[in-house]
Amino acid sequence: MSETRKLARCEDVAPLLVFYTCDELTSEEREQIVAHLAICDGCRAQLSEEDALQTAIDRMPQAADQFESSGVLLAQCRSELSESLDELSAPKVNEGWQPFGFVRAWMALRPGWSAAALLLVGAIVGTQAFQWLPFSTGNGNGSALKVFAAPRITPETLNKMELSGINSSPTGKIQLQLQAEQPMTLSSDEDDADVRRVLTFVITNSDRFDAGVRLDCVEALRAAASDEQARAALLAAARKDQNPAVRLKALDALRDMAGMPAVRDVLLETLQHDSNPGVRVEAINLLVRAIESGSELPELAPEAPDSESPVQGTAPQALPFPGRDTEQRILRALDELRQHDSNRYVRLRSAAALRQIAQQDMQ
Amino acid sequence: MPLSRWVLALADSSGRTSGSAAALATVTSLPNLDERALVSQAQAGNRAAFEDLVRRYDRDVLRLALNLMKRPEDARDVYQEAFLKVYRNLHRFRFECSFYTWLYRIVTNVCLDHLRRRQARPEDQAPEIHPNRMEEGPRDFFDYQKEHRPTLDPERSLMGKEIQSRIALAMERLSPRERVVFEMKHYQGLKLRAIGDALGTTEETVKNSLFRATRKLRSELASLR
Repeated sequence: MSETRKLARCEDVAPLLVFYTCDELTSEEREQIVAHLAICDGCRAQLSEEDALQTAIDRMPQAADQFESSGVLLAQCRSELSESLDELSAPKVNEGWQPFGFVRAWMALRPGWSAAALLLVGAIVGTQAFQWLPFSTGNGNGSALKVFAAPRITPETLNKMELSGINSSPTGKIQLQLQAEQPMTLSSDEDDADVRRVLTFVITNSDRFDAGVRLDCVEALRAAASDEQARAALLAAARKDQNPAVRLKALDALRDMAGMPAVRDVLLETLQHDSNPGVRVEAINLLVRAIESGSELPELAPEAPDSESPVQGTAPQALPFPGRDTEQRILRALDELRQHDSNRYVRLRSAAALRQIAQQDMQ
Repeated sequence: MPLSRWVLALADSSGRTSGSAAALATVTSLPNLDERALVSQAQAGNRAAFEDLVRRYDRDVLRLALNLMKRPEDARDVYQEAFLKVYRNLHRFRFECSFYTWLYRIVTNVCLDHLRRRQARPEDQAPEIHPNRMEEGPRDFFDYQKEHRPTLDPERSLMGKEIQSRIALAMERLSPRERVVFEMKHYQGLKLRAIGDALGTTEETVKNSLFRATRKLRSELASLR
């Protein structure tokens, strides 16, 4: 606004009437306008309109008077501000460096997406991670991965347990139900270390377990007879078990192992000392089978001299397999049974076995 | 129209020609000294001093916010935002102008932001509440009956209400800056120079805004002549 200009014309004065009414003109401008108003009816009329408008504006009720007459709003504002200042003034919690802090913040703000992302990561890790692990390199043909659990059966558990049930599935899977301090069920095939330990323990501790349980255990161990531990348990059962059915079952489990020296030793011992004719007959059968299946059996330990043996000096002069001591010992044992066994069927079976072996030797 | 102590001080200072900042800072000396000490203590981290400053001016801040925003909830937001800005930026205040001026600049900027936001997204806003409209309420038969009491003039009363309603409507159509200038001039009693200082602009610009605002109001009331 120029303070030096002359305000003589209505078009110069009219725009300033607004500021004239609200007292925003310099004294010089005011004087010029007053002089013009004295001679101009039109500008005077416009000024009266401006005054009326100013009055109307001044009379307008104010929102502040309406809303804040009680002071409640101001109190609320002060309270909220005080709380905000408390938050600003509170020392920040030094959380230190947080790896993946931005991930945490992102996940906290987007729970739905976070759940989906976690599921996706879990699926990828579950399906792909094993291929990258070192122990899985030999398993690329898709065969099942064997995971060996840590043994759960301790020696104390073995000593205190009771075997309440043995279930064998057609696929060879065995389930054992044990009654120990805490009942437990072992479910696996014979390769499972715990199952095998329980089975061998039952077989070799015949005085603690029922004959039926021992029979089931022998049957369960049949498939594992090639294992040294299982075979030793079966041999012990065949030699020492009090129940002839168990001994018979143990010999049957060793059928395919009859050519092995340890098994033949037990068979010969059974021939000569087992009290049960059925067991002795089974031993005869297995020995004959061993001789028939093997061209030349491995040598057995030297036969201990038995001064009380009734067959000593009575062995047939011409036995098959001359020069082969193992077969010679078996034949002598069979011949002894043929002549002196108390059971007629054993004597007959021994004689038949000798003939059978002689025929094979001639062939 | 109630004028606060500091508004009166600003209005009184306008007649002096020592520059805009000086015009705003010209207040009685003792309160100024007290205020300066308070600001210094608040800058040093004294929470009580800051709250004392708030107590001195927050009533006027809330009044301005209410008159401009026309909604209590918006006025509360303006109040909070303005004083939190003051708290966060108090260390930048260098006493180059009075604390009033600085505070008022922040408050008006916050109000302008809110008004511009409201203008940009009118569909998200609740309608403004105008006291004169609230008082009106639904009109019935008795509103149009002749007043027999000699002290009252029903025609004038009705015309006055109509004028106020038109003014309120016209106020809604002002731009945010025109609205702030109009409010500060007519209802806060500030001089144009002080308004320019608060808005960070020149007196001439403020004058133009006030002129445009007044012209809009007059055109709205033209049909009542």
